[in-house]
Amino acid sequence: MKQPEVVCKDVMEHICENLGEDLESPKCISIKTHLNGCSNCQHYFKSVNDTISFYKNYNVVLPEHSHSKLMSILGLDK
Amino acid sequence: MNESILIEQAQAGNKSAIEQLVKNYENTVYNFSFKICRDRHRAENTMQETFLSMLKNINQFKGDSKLSTWLYTVVSNHCLMLARSSSKHSNASLDDDDVYIDEKSFADWKVSPEKITENKELKDILDKAIAKLNPEYRIVFLLRDVEGLSTEETADITKLSIAATKSRLHRARAFLRNELNEKLKNETT
Repeated sequence: MKQPEVVCKDVMEHICENLGEDLESPKCISIKTHLNGCSNCQHYFKSVNDTISFYKNYNVVLPEHSHSKLMSILGLDK
Repeated sequence: MNESILIEQAQAGNKSAIEQLVKNYENTVYNFSFKICRDRHRAENTMQETFLSMLKNINQFKGDSKLSTWLYTVVSNHCLMLARSSSKHSNASLDDDDVYIDEKSFADWKVSPEKITENKELKDILDKAIAKLNPEYRIVFLLRDVEGLSTEETADITKLSIAATKSRLHRARAFLRNELNEKLKNETT
């Protein structure tokens, strides 16, 4: 069966929409075929993934004084 | 100890069980609050309000959803309330698809996401980019992509349809990617 032709804009929209979702639909298979041969879309795909990774890796540690204050407010301090 | 047993003991007024539940989730709640508010003071305040709400309502918790989901819901609602009461920040509009789909810039980023822990300048870039994102979109992005909840759980927490959740996620990802692209496309390390 002939796969629908996709352009870069389609790829970008569906990469964003389906990142982490089921990518086995006919349209997504077409997108992956396009992606394999398109360096622009590969860069875009990587940059969206990196965006998510940047925010996943950006964590803060609960300060000890904030923990103590929380326990005091909740009446759980010893 | 199994969480459902801890919850049962907490509902019976057992202080040790309550303390253990708080300790199990305080880092998650503080981190999630910080990621939405981008402000340590507001994050601390939100964390306190969230656990006070947990103590007050623990007897109403039926266990038909995860305690973490319930806590994410309280944090999300509190942060949205704070954002709505603060009129000084205006966020970018995400209504027009052509604004956030930038076909002209396909730069290959050289900065690795692992560098974030040691790079204050990069943290500033991330803070400024996400601060421009409407909080209602920010929460969807953080729940789904950063905290790793399912689309269904994210929709439940935000009281959105599945389609609306996916749409907001799509727009939030693209908006943030474009904001970061402006800063990172010329970075070489």
